[in-house]
Amino acid sequence: MRRIEQGVTRPEPIAVEIDGASVMAHPGETVAVAVLASASRRFRDDRSGAPRGMFCNMGTCSECTVWAALGTSPWRRVRGCLVLAEPTLRISTRDPESRP
Amino acid sequence: MTGETSKFDILIVGGGLVGCASAWHLARLGLKVLVAERGHLNSGASGQNAGSLHFQIERRFLEQGEKAAADGARIVTLNRLALEEWRGIEHMLGRPLDVAMHGGLMVAETEAQMALLAFKVARENELGLSTQVLDGAQLRERAPYLSPHLAGAAWLADEGHANPRILVDAFAEGAGEQGARIRTGTALTGLSMARDGTYSAVLSGPDGEMRVNTPRVLLASGHWVPRLAGMLGLNVPLYAAPLMMSVTDRTEPVLPYLIQHVGARLSMKQTEDGNLLIGGGWPSRLARRADGTPDLDRPAAVEMKNLRANLAVAARVMPGLAQRSLLRTWTGTTCISADQLPIVGEIPAAPGLFVAAGGSLFTLGPVLARLLARTIAEGSAPEELSMFLPRRFAHLDAFAVLP
Ligand SMILES: Cc1cc2nc3c(=O)[nH]c(=O)nc-3n(C[C@H](O)[C@H](O)[C@H](O)COP(=O)(O)OP(=O)(O)OC[C@H]3O[C@@H](n4cnc5c(N)ncnc54)[C@H](O)[C@@H]3O)c2cc1C
Ligand code: FES
Repeated sequence: MRRIEQGVTRPEPIAVEIDGASVMAHPGETVAVAVLASASRRFRDDRSGAPRGMFCNMGTCSECTVWAALGTSPWRRVRGCLVLAEPTLRISTRDPESRP
Repeated sequence: MTGETSKFDILIVGGGLVGCASAWHLARLGLKVLVAERGHLNSGASGQNAGSLHFQIERRFLEQGEKAAADGARIVTLNRLALEEWRGIEHMLGRPLDVAMHGGLMVAETEAQMALLAFKVARENELGLSTQVLDGAQLRERAPYLSPHLAGAAWLADEGHANPRILVDAFAEGAGEQGARIRTGTALTGLSMARDGTYSAVLSGPDGEMRVNTPRVLLASGHWVPRLAGMLGLNVPLYAAPLMMSVTDRTEPVLPYLIQHVGARLSMKQTEDGNLLIGGGWPSRLARRADGTPDLDRPAAVEMKNLRANLAVAARVMPGLAQRSLLRTWTGTTCISADQLPIVGEIPAAPGLFVAAGGSLFTLGPVLARLLARTIAEGSAPEELSMFLPRRFAHLDAFAVLP
């Protein structure tokens, strides 16, 4: 999956953190877009631990649910397709609290 | 689908739990069964509910005074049968259904609520249900993650929950294997009784209309039963109850039990996947038609005030819940009868016409479907159903003109 580049102008990219890695996103794009732009494209896991992708892209299915924290504020679970990527935003696709 | 058929022994209207479980039993008893479901299978209350297997007397019977509570206690005999039914259901259907029966707690926050629990437990014990009162200390020992402020609880070892998203499918598939025909996207749009007392039903499906002539019809259509019975000029006193359910994100296993509250609307449990499900009978808001009458064909809307109150009770009972994120809240509509007990069996004014609806028919649906199927196949109702037969409302059809 790649961004359409031809004939599109976007604001200067910003860096967000996804599972510890830095990913570039453009202001106005959602967290879901940033996750799709990351190497793994993984959102949540199903009951067997297998990765799930996003589905509806409109806030209905909750398939895109990830953890997000702005700067030093606490982690919250959000639907990635409804939240805009912002500078200092950290995203985690696994429970940040239960990480070693 | 066009034309006319007379080859079915019974037409079942509604592909929820009641319709599909009845189809399963009836097909096994050798009847030729046709199920017509307007939407898709499990699209009504059967796929929207909390999945609680509650066998203690429900709070809704206790909040209307002692007389109502004593009447409500009559349902305990049925609850005991339901308990047995659920114990064997995975074996019966031959597949896992996320049935967890590790126990249930109906909690109390005040001394007055403890007194109500004691009254309830005494009635239940008389009727052969082995509930037990736990004081605050005993409750904390059993469920340390619940609030230390709780006064106590009633404990029943066999309560629990199951997965409403897979049960109906299991019954439907099994019914299909036994020869039942299941038509989805197919609505009953006309129903009349012929001179010989048989029924003529019009089904509207993807390929047009079809007429079904059949000696028997089962209305297993949830809160739509009164509307469909109305096609024959009959009155079934069932009233829509629009409700809400919420689910949090997954967490490690913390809550093996079903939690209810004797003095507030609450049901809480943890699913096989780790999500916490929160409900308890808080109303949602029915959609309305332009003229202000309820529109039962559109989903009800979440009522924010009730949602907040629901989550507040839940977090008061289990403080750790405040750490969880709410993933989703949805609405679903079920129905209650005029006397709060299920209405199950043949309509006296219309021999051959059966209904089954009203009340907690996730818990009770499987056993009621079994008893109803016997009623239909044998031509008379077993003793266990006597309290729930439609005949107690026969006076409402005193002026019906049939055929
Ligand atoms: C939010 C909520 C929580 C609940 N929690 C619990 C619980 O924890 N425990 C419990 O025991 N019970 C619970 N209940 C109640 C329980 O879900 C219902 O009693 C039960 O599912 C009823 O099943 P049913 O098959 O009668 O109805 P439904 O599942 O509503 O099925 C009726 C079907 O009839 C179809 N239909 C309607 N009109 C037509 C037509 N003209 N032609 C063809 N088909 C038609 C509908 O599309 C629908 O699929 C809850 C209900 C709700 C809404
Ligand atoms: S993709 Fe469905 S809620 Fe985000």
